Amino acid sequence: MGKLTIGCFSSLIGSMNLDFAIKLCALALEKGHKVDLWVSGNATMLSIKGQKPFKDYSHLEKPLKELMAKGLNVAVCEACAEARGYHKDNTLEGFKRHSMDWYLASTFDADRVLHIGGE
Amino acid sequence: MKLAVFVSDFRITVNTLDRLKAQELGIIFVGNGIYHAALKEDGNPSPLLQKSAKFYVLSEDLETRGLSSSGIANNIKVITYSDLVDLIFNEYEKTAWL
Repeated sequence: MGKLTIGCFSSLIGSMNLDFAIKLCALALEKGHKVDLWVSGNATMLSIKGQKPFKDYSHLEKPLKELMAKGLNVAVCEACAEARGYHKDNTLEGFKRHSMDWYLASTFDADRVLHIGGE
Repeated sequence: MKLAVFVSDFRITVNTLDRLKAQELGIIFVGNGIYHAALKEDGNPSPLLQKSAKFYVLSEDLETRGLSSSGIANNIKVITYSDLVDLIFNEYEKTAWL
């Protein structure tokens, strides 16, 4: 089994790239791989707790929590989050907050890296 | 190097892909990129399909957009997320997202 690192910079609302990343995480974990997920830029909105589910809007809190319980290692760019007013006390439980070096370190010991750019 | 390129946008042109060099190239249509696999413009398939590559399209993204695998050309393999994980780990060494 290998390690997959996914970096995603796309917003939760606007494209479906974060949905794609979460589904890919789910199947990779299911197949026994280790998965790190890094969210940066506008993707940091994934880390905010208390988002309400609306019809036809992406709402990934529930699947994300389930994946974290299965071993998904997920971190948010702290600077990107702070720049958008997403503070530590408003972060989903289990989300790590780090600088970009966390992502770089993760990619260096990963077997495969998928970097999904932003808008 | 075996390179898998994820095409997630319908606007991607051949010029973009021409800048990527690989011994073996796989093109995986996801998101709005699936329209390259599913639609024709003026009766012509997407120019991306002229590339020397293996082609894949994600079935869930076809279905999300109301399309089915029945109209997909034979040289494009319809895959699931599970297949995608296997492609990433077993068939290609590097990935790129467009």
